[in-house]
Amino acid sequence: MTQQIEEESEALASAAVGAPGPQRRPLGRRVRSTASAYGFMAPAVALVLTFFVAAGILLLILSFTDLQSANFNDAWTFIGFDNYERLFTDAFFPKIARNTVFYVFTTLIVFNLGLALVLALVTTSIPRRAGFFFRLVWLLPRLTPSVVYIMMWQRIGSADPFGIYNQIAPEFLGASGGNLYLGGSPWTFVVLTNGFIGASFGMIIFTSALESIPKDLLTAAKVDGADTWRIIRDIKIPMIKWPLLFIATYQTLSLLTSFEYILLLTQGGPGLFTTEVWALTSYKRAFASYAGNNQWAYGATWAVVLVAIALLLAVVYVKLFKFNELIEEPRIENL
Amino acid sequence: MKHRPTRFRALILLGIVFALVAAACTSSDTPDDSGLITIVARCKAAPNVEDGRCNNLLRGVVAANAQLAADGDDRRVEVQIIQDNADWGDYRTEFELASSAGEAPDIIVSGHEDIGVWATSGIITDVTDLLGDYPEFDDVTPSLWASTELNGKRWGVPQDAEARPLYFRKDLLLELGWTQTEVDSLPANLASGAFTWEDMLDTAEAAVAAGVVDEGNGWWHRPVNGNDFLYYYYSAGGELLDDSGALIFDQAAALQVYELVGGAVDRGILSDTLLGTSWADWNSTVANGNVLFVFGGSWQWSDWAVNYVVDPDGEQYLFDNLGFGPIPALAAGTNEPTTLTHPLLYMVSSGSENPDLALMVISKATTKELNTEYALASGHLAILTSQADYEPYTSSVFLSEVGALLEFTTFVPNSPFFSAWSEGYFLGLSAVESGAATPAEAVQIVVDQLQNELGVDVIITGG
Repeated sequence: MTQQIEEESEALASAAVGAPGPQRRPLGRRVRSTASAYGFMAPAVALVLTFFVAAGILLLILSFTDLQSANFNDAWTFIGFDNYERLFTDAFFPKIARNTVFYVFTTLIVFNLGLALVLALVTTSIPRRAGFFFRLVWLLPRLTPSVVYIMMWQRIGSADPFGIYNQIAPEFLGASGGNLYLGGSPWTFVVLTNGFIGASFGMIIFTSALESIPKDLLTAAKVDGADTWRIIRDIKIPMIKWPLLFIATYQTLSLLTSFEYILLLTQGGPGLFTTEVWALTSYKRAFASYAGNNQWAYGATWAVVLVAIALLLAVVYVKLFKFNELIEEPRIENL
Repeated sequence: MKHRPTRFRALILLGIVFALVAAACTSSDTPDDSGLITIVARCKAAPNVEDGRCNNLLRGVVAANAQLAADGDDRRVEVQIIQDNADWGDYRTEFELASSAGEAPDIIVSGHEDIGVWATSGIITDVTDLLGDYPEFDDVTPSLWASTELNGKRWGVPQDAEARPLYFRKDLLLELGWTQTEVDSLPANLASGAFTWEDMLDTAEAAVAAGVVDEGNGWWHRPVNGNDFLYYYYSAGGELLDDSGALIFDQAAALQVYELVGGAVDRGILSDTLLGTSWADWNSTVANGNVLFVFGGSWQWSDWAVNYVVDPDGEQYLFDNLGFGPIPALAAGTNEPTTLTHPLLYMVSSGSENPDLALMVISKATTKELNTEYALASGHLAILTSQADYEPYTSSVFLSEVGALLEFTTFVPNSPFFSAWSEGYFLGLSAVESGAATPAEAVQIVVDQLQNELGVDVIITGG
């Protein structure tokens, strides 16, 4: 506190004598004042350096080699851009890219943002206990181990006569209702399984943001005659703008690299890479090969390109959504 | 009350962490004070039926130690097994990564084709010169050693072998109007080539039309990629290896295979959703008599008897209702019946500090008593010449009859490039079956994939 007063006095003194700006403080003091900030950041920085930067550099180096199971114990042989050429000339590269875009944005818009927002709005508009209960129910998919969760979906979506859906649906929907199964509508199942998990994350964040909207704002709107839709559109959504943008950014990047549910559910099939997404291809090239010979370097190449796309998207989101406004100091402090 | 200084407690905690890490890093086959050496073995085995794969190594320990004592060797051995039913791909990757980390098990059981990759990368031991030290290996059926060889050297010891038959439902054929004599003579007609692949499809189509089986249940193959699909290619006249050992993809043979399966889907014989069905659903449907013709494996007979049709009457139910013979001849192809044998091998990791002891344990598991017990439980064929007149083995009706199929057998190649070939070829097959591509388009897709994956290491022919 004393230090802060001293700094403020110095600044005031500078202003009083018409100096161009605050004088530079002595080095020792500057180090002391920023040391705690760096100290708090250090664990996160160490993690990012170890598990992202270092791993990313290794991945990049690996992508220029021909490392695979068959030469796993040999010294790395560098083959230039051969793996990249192979990737971009792969006949299914465009299809996998299209699949990835479809998967990421459909799941994001319909579930991770859309359904999450609806759930948050609904569960904050009903009695508190009931809202808590329903949010807990929606958290169940996230709490269930992924293998168990996907096995449940496989039982639900197996083709006739195995699938639970195909056994139950005709009773209620007539014969045409029994025509939904994993092999026939793989994208429906892929998006549903991922969406039900993704929705709960946004739901929690949006709920806390909605709960923190001052009640007098909502009361005032109601007094002014605003209906529910108007309150949602003109008060609630603008008030939770930052959580919405954060979830959009975070979940886009998260979906871009997620593949485990697709791997367990469809393995990227059926047929010709029908539900294969970029991250899954990377995994399959590097780690999954029926008869052996995993292609580590080629898998790394797919991963490197994915990391580059993710970084690019992150920059676009930060610029597009003006995240610098979110983290800038409140203007009131600058007065 | 006086507390110990925090720093002291932190040091104790650090010490415990170091001790745990050090313990975890201790090599598993380092002898302890008593001179006991631990050999770690890794097996993939279907529960209830294939447990003998690793358990036989455990049971060989007593004999191994007796042998060591008799030889005047002071060392003694114990075996630690890691046995589960992991996915083959995961299982192989686990061994490769463990090898790279210096933590590979001493013994791994895997398909013989893995030596293509593993011997090339140096993570398994060349046992050619060591085998002679263990007389038990002289009993191994000579023809099986070919599957252990690469570049003139031997890289493992056969653990099991199997046949892959065509199973047919006797009850459904009778329901379709076949006479008992026709049903009984089907195995012989399959073996002679009188009943062809085309005949099988016609019969299956008739069964679907007559309502004997549901649409799509006339003929089934396995629900995921596997070595079975290779004999389709062989049956269509496809060659896989040229004289130099390079892989070949014969477009004409592949086209014929794809037309065959695509046609079966179009005719309602084969379901377009079969690929992707879970093994549990697949086995349950097949074992309980809902499919007329099935391309399967001899090991499935035991699996069905123990795990799927216990209530009807186990193996007797299967004998009553299920017949088998070689895969029928493809008249438009080689016109010869076929099957495929895919021996699993005991391989010794190059990271093992005691390969001689690992082989010693393997040799004591390679006896007619232990292997016969395993073969009977798991539906696998004999791998030792002495089993040919060993009563417990010869008394098994199923093994005796299915063993005769070896006359028509083919093998998977030991090539480091086979994995990419197999996946490319299967991609085309699954594309045709699911309706995503025509047979001709599928061939082109596979050619593109193989050239992208293997470059000069694949020769494309038959265009």
